[in-house]
Amino acid sequence: MSSAVIFPAQPEQILKGLGKLWTSLGEEEKQHGKPTVLRACAMTLIVATDENDGGFYVSQTISELMREHPSRGIVLCVSPEAEKSLEARVLAQCWKPFGKAQQICCEQIEIVARPESWPNVGPTLIGLTAADLPVIFWCRHQAALSPQATRDERAGLEAVSSIATKIIVDTAELNPEAALKLIADWQMQGRVVADLEWTRLTPWREPLAHIFDNLARENTFSKFHTVEVVHTGERPSSCVLYIAAWLSRPYNAKVKFKREQGYGPGIQRIVLHSDAEAIQFERSSTDCMTLSSTNGRARKYSYQDTGLAELMTEELSILGPDGAFNAAFARAQELIRELE
Amino acid sequence: MSALVQPLPDVNPLQDPLRFARRVPPCAVVIFGASGDLSKRKLLPSLYRLFYERRISPNFAVIGSSRTPMSDDRFRDTMKDSVSKFLEDAPFDETVWKSFAQCLFYVPGDLNNPSSYDDLRVKLDAVEKSHQTAGNVLFYLSTQPSHYAEAILELGAHHLNKGNGWRRVIIEKPFGHDLNSARKLNDEIHKVFDESEVYRIDHYLGKETVQNILAFRFGNSMFEPLWNRRYVDHVQITAAESIGVEGRGAYYKEAGALRDMIQNHLSQVMATVAMEPPSVFDATNVRDERAKLLRSVRVMKPEDVPTYAVAGQYGPGKVGGQDLPGFRQEPSVDPDSQTDTYAAVTFFIDNWRWAGVPFYVRTGKRLPKRVTDIAIQFKSPPLGLFQQETKTGPREVRPNLLVVRIQPEEGISLRFLSKSPGSGMRVRPVSMDFNYGSSFGERTPTAYETLLVDAMAGDPTLYTRQDMVDASWQIVQPILDVWAHSIFDFPNYPAGTWGPKASDEMLARQGHVWRVP
Repeated sequence: MSSAVIFPAQPEQILKGLGKLWTSLGEEEKQHGKPTVLRACAMTLIVATDENDGGFYVSQTISELMREHPSRGIVLCVSPEAEKSLEARVLAQCWKPFGKAQQICCEQIEIVARPESWPNVGPTLIGLTAADLPVIFWCRHQAALSPQATRDERAGLEAVSSIATKIIVDTAELNPEAALKLIADWQMQGRVVADLEWTRLTPWREPLAHIFDNLARENTFSKFHTVEVVHTGERPSSCVLYIAAWLSRPYNAKVKFKREQGYGPGIQRIVLHSDAEAIQFERSSTDCMTLSSTNGRARKYSYQDTGLAELMTEELSILGPDGAFNAAFARAQELIRELE
Repeated sequence: MSALVQPLPDVNPLQDPLRFARRVPPCAVVIFGASGDLSKRKLLPSLYRLFYERRISPNFAVIGSSRTPMSDDRFRDTMKDSVSKFLEDAPFDETVWKSFAQCLFYVPGDLNNPSSYDDLRVKLDAVEKSHQTAGNVLFYLSTQPSHYAEAILELGAHHLNKGNGWRRVIIEKPFGHDLNSARKLNDEIHKVFDESEVYRIDHYLGKETVQNILAFRFGNSMFEPLWNRRYVDHVQITAAESIGVEGRGAYYKEAGALRDMIQNHLSQVMATVAMEPPSVFDATNVRDERAKLLRSVRVMKPEDVPTYAVAGQYGPGKVGGQDLPGFRQEPSVDPDSQTDTYAAVTFFIDNWRWAGVPFYVRTGKRLPKRVTDIAIQFKSPPLGLFQQETKTGPREVRPNLLVVRIQPEEGISLRFLSKSPGSGMRVRPVSMDFNYGSSFGERTPTAYETLLVDAMAGDPTLYTRQDMVDASWQIVQPILDVWAHSIFDFPNYPAGTWGPKASDEMLARQGHVWRVP
């Protein structure tokens, strides 16, 4: 990480600060006599956080993300402790690939805003987005996502989401009704929205989908009439609803939810039932998943909780609409109504 | 239940191509030469990695075969050692291995012995049932090249070329020893397998950056208009290795640099750089264009060979204070060997796009560093308005250079001129870099992973076709013929240098110099 200067949150001044930062990095290049710094940017990534979430953790995640998705990172920290209504600092996140001489650097802007100033941050952000590149808004400000959000928080959220190509949220901590309503509202406005709770399902979904690639399989997917999802939480969470929705939607299969203790939080087991066979995919230990069928062999997979940076890396690879998520989301809304 | 009345889907409704890796159908992979180096170092680690990343079907099996007597369990143990040792940039997971090992089987056998193929058939039938491989079989010939024809004919004689599912065969290089032997091998193969079932592997084509050349050229509109004789001065393709023959002396003394690298890998790279855009990005159209380009390469007359091709062989040298042996001092190498460990060739492509543009291709062992790249040298601006600022004073500007780096740091660099800050109009070259590793931080699949998945999925785009192999032999055959009757004054370059002086002179005759990559 290099250079950090405080600026009032005026886009021109912030960009000027960035320019100086790159000049100073170029000086280093000149001293070495060959290119040592590579500047990279493929998108603008705006991360909204609250005072409990900001600082090192977000910066660390952005620095991990930039290896695959180099971006102009804008961290917007909303804090009542902020000295000024809006202020900013610029820095460069650099990393040197193992064994390589050249550093890869991405620029990062940190904006600290008082809660009442958040609704006014839009023009600043618009001035700071990298030209001609997508703008991704990752909202980690949980209070603003909750139904109890204040008027300023709602307006602040709208100010940022209105300039975003894609909005990414994590509904793991939200109750599923609120989570689904939030996303549905955005979708109604034509926004592209992703939920990291869906992203967490990829290690579950992919092996299950793979089974039905085998056209020689006697029991095709359409013959499975019941989907059973066993979970640890008191109620089915967003990810439990999503997986059930994804599996039940194509042929309108019956869905059963069941609660059990297991290895770690979340989904423990998924069972697909047909008249002739049951396919079971379960967390068989803390670091292993087992896929088995009453008609076939068992196959084990290593299981590791997917880290935030990995989840975001996957989401940032998909900038347009996600048909599979949208279809599952629509079915999840039906399931949650049925649960009520 | 509505499932009962809905029609069966044509495609898997759970598929999510945005997030899931490309699917491949169930199949059994039969590796002939399973106890060999290629299997241990590349094939099994690649298959394990594909399994680990769930990029191959759960209904999958590997049947290894070689002369070494071994049980299934012994084969699994041997391969476990190899996979854990040679897995590149990837973790070895004991739990996943146990699952993978259940898919490994072994059939001891001699390619000359017909009963070995009966044993193989029994094992394939068993695996088809136990692992639901749907009768699909991918044969991988990782044996001595002299056994290719024999193995294929035996597969045909035992009807292993047909079955309940598809049958495909992957053939490693070298594909023939010269034009005639390559044609003969093709004829033998076609007695058993249709051309559409034959996958001739050239692992260079599986490298991400080589594939990226197509994306770079045909996915962007800004470079293609410059990609021709009007703007390109010349092209240099370099594949340099810092190591010597490393115990492969016995093989290498028969092959040489021209056969080992230029006939296959580098001619395919050249074709990728210079081919016309395909009308559709599919296997047939892409390979048609590659083949067409190779057929457009001017075939040298024998009297032109000394002017346009240079052979070299490294002698002893010193690198980093360490004494390095010459080729003739390597084990299993004749002290009077005439084998080329370095080859440089000037190719001309006789078509409208490239007429008159030299394509310089060089490869060698014991060069100063391991690097493979392609440099497109553009012509200088028609009028020299500026002088370039250098440490020793101003000089004429260096023209634009586009470098596609294949290894070790995959990426693309564009050199262009920029004004130096300050008064006066002095310019200096600056470089705009695209680094594959940093822009796409995820682990790049190895060439063998890419190519194995392609073969299982039935996509031969990155494999060479009969006419491509034929054309690439045609362009090197006159050189081989002349060199076969020449006595070279070898060694002609010390280990650790950029090759023989004659190679520099070959470019100098055209007014060019080799880049230092």
